[in-house]
Amino acid sequence: MNLELQHGSRSRILAGLILVITAIFVVRLFYLQVIKHDYYVKLSAAEQVKQFDLPAKRGLIYALDGSTPVPLALNEDVYTVFADPTAVKNTSAIIDTIQKVAGGNAEPNLDQRLGNTASRYQVLATRINRTQADLIKQKNFLGVGFTDLTQRVYPEGALAAQVLGFVDYSGTGQYGVEGGLNQQLKGKDGLEKTVTDVSDVPLTIGNQDIKIPAVDGTNEVLTIDRNVQAHAEQALATGLQKTGATNGSLIVMDPQTGKVMAMANLPSYDPATFNTVTDPAVFNNATVSAPYEPGSDIKTLTFATGIDKGVITADSTYNNTDYITVDNATISNATKGQTGNITIQHAFNWSLNTGFVTVAERLGDGTNINLQARNIMYDYFYNKFGLGQLTGIQLANEQAGIVVPPSDPQGNAVRYSNMAFGQGLDATMVQVSAAFSSVINGGHYYKPTILAGTIDGSGAYIPLPTPTPIRTTISQSTSNQMLQALQTARATFYTRQDTPGYTIGGKTGTSQVVVNGVYSNTEAVGTYLGYGGTDTPRYVIMVQLSAPNKVFAGGTDAEPIFSDMSNWMLNYLKLQPKG
Amino acid sequence: MSYQRTATMYTPRRQQNWSRNQNTVAFISSVKLGPVAHTVLVALMITVLGLIYLTQATRATSYDYQSQKIDSQIADLNTQKSDLEVENARLTALETVKNSAVASTLVTPSNTQYVHE
Repeated sequence: MNLELQHGSRSRILAGLILVITAIFVVRLFYLQVIKHDYYVKLSAAEQVKQFDLPAKRGLIYALDGSTPVPLALNEDVYTVFADPTAVKNTSAIIDTIQKVAGGNAEPNLDQRLGNTASRYQVLATRINRTQADLIKQKNFLGVGFTDLTQRVYPEGALAAQVLGFVDYSGTGQYGVEGGLNQQLKGKDGLEKTVTDVSDVPLTIGNQDIKIPAVDGTNEVLTIDRNVQAHAEQALATGLQKTGATNGSLIVMDPQTGKVMAMANLPSYDPATFNTVTDPAVFNNATVSAPYEPGSDIKTLTFATGIDKGVITADSTYNNTDYITVDNATISNATKGQTGNITIQHAFNWSLNTGFVTVAERLGDGTNINLQARNIMYDYFYNKFGLGQLTGIQLANEQAGIVVPPSDPQGNAVRYSNMAFGQGLDATMVQVSAAFSSVINGGHYYKPTILAGTIDGSGAYIPLPTPTPIRTTISQSTSNQMLQALQTARATFYTRQDTPGYTIGGKTGTSQVVVNGVYSNTEAVGTYLGYGGTDTPRYVIMVQLSAPNKVFAGGTDAEPIFSDMSNWMLNYLKLQPKG
Repeated sequence: MSYQRTATMYTPRRQQNWSRNQNTVAFISSVKLGPVAHTVLVALMITVLGLIYLTQATRATSYDYQSQKIDSQIADLNTQKSDLEVENARLTALETVKNSAVASTLVTPSNTQYVHE
């Protein structure tokens, strides 16, 4: 009886013990699996689930060769070779191979680098291409590794550098098209989140995998024609060398579409080595980023405004005394002696300031540049011709310049008398070229553009629709008269420069520069603005050159560059001469 | 008092265990499975199901490795294609063409004749 009691007691103790242990397990498991569920799921995911960025490829940039796209900026994978000095063997073989294969891309003092066992990372060569990297990889050197990165390459070298811009080390486009179209070019990175094995190979297990593919950047085709651009750069360089100018810009535009065929600026740089540039000013595309007082080429716009408003014709006359007084200011002609009763066309040919101050006066009451005259000039210059406002061209750092409105105290008669011959306002070359294009194409203002189309994933060129004018500046009749006026102005002095059989017109510009708040007599910018073609103008060329403390004249310094470019364009466009 | 049911005895339908069209004969297997055999069979079934699951999971993973290998090949080929495009662009660049042997033999025409239509 006593034995049975003892037996029963042990069983109950054992049963109780098992129950307690089981309860502990249950409680512990409940704690781990239920209460700490989220924590351990996160811990597990952190171990097993990896997240990868899927980098988008930056879009390529093409120019045109006639109507065929040719690459200007491409992407290339390049490699950095590094070594862990504590792990390398056979140092001499590594040095020998790196120097033979990487050549100029090998770092100096390789023996010292490999001997520096205090470091675990020493760069042996940078920016070697894939073929070079493969040759080194074949050697299977212990302790030698590779990292790859994508960089921009420029097959045409420094051609159109300021149009292109560059991509900085963070992958962001700066200046030019790279900056202006950075959003379109950079694309959108993708994302992959998945369970991986120990080698980071993505596995399709798990129900929380995410894969968002990268969207590559758009491949842009520019309206820049590489042949026109190359000749523009060459003509500009030759012109600068002959004249002693240190800065120059040249723009070639199709006046029937607003497409820019060339934009050349000197001094320039090589976008592949942008990091070696010491003066960041060379990054700027002066044709869109450097507003200036364009000078007498603006007389073309004053002339067109006067004809369009019906206050003058080319044959209208005025009495030229070489001086004209506006309020308390006396304005004189740069070229003197063409005095007497002369036509506006004559004043245009000889670039006489008095003639165009007279046109401004006739826009008012005939003797004063009153508010009505100023309002009309502002309406044409700012609203219609687009001076002093952004054109919206797809390039970074475009500057607006300024045309002071009549409502501003500074927008008085003296300023507007200066504006009549291209001083007292700031405009960029692209603004002036677009305005001039509208003057000679029938009065149709086209927004200047640098984009011709795109290239799709299959490599097919998809041109953008033909541009349409965004507004009318002057009437067809005014435009016809201006074509003749510009042709006459050019024929007066420069007809021998042109290939016979074509219609070429143009206007000089010599503008004083403000130095320390006053117009300098020792510094002037030379400009020539003209067009060429047969019955229809096919190109507009604007040239500008300058240097500190030097006076350049549009007729003697900028015009020869225009002639060089213009005659070359006639051949390049295969235009047939008349007669 | 007790009695046995016989086929001849009338039983009201509501008190019968058998419904219409139902077999009234049951066959009992001569093989008897005890609780151990049952446990072993269940364990075997679980094992087989587990193996089937593992086979399928492993098969999916092996596809992942193949997919990864193909992706890697595609990336390599794309890189090679890009390299060739760069090389092609360099070889057809204006400067390269201008400095080529063919270009050095070209001459500027002395004059140009136009055919007028």
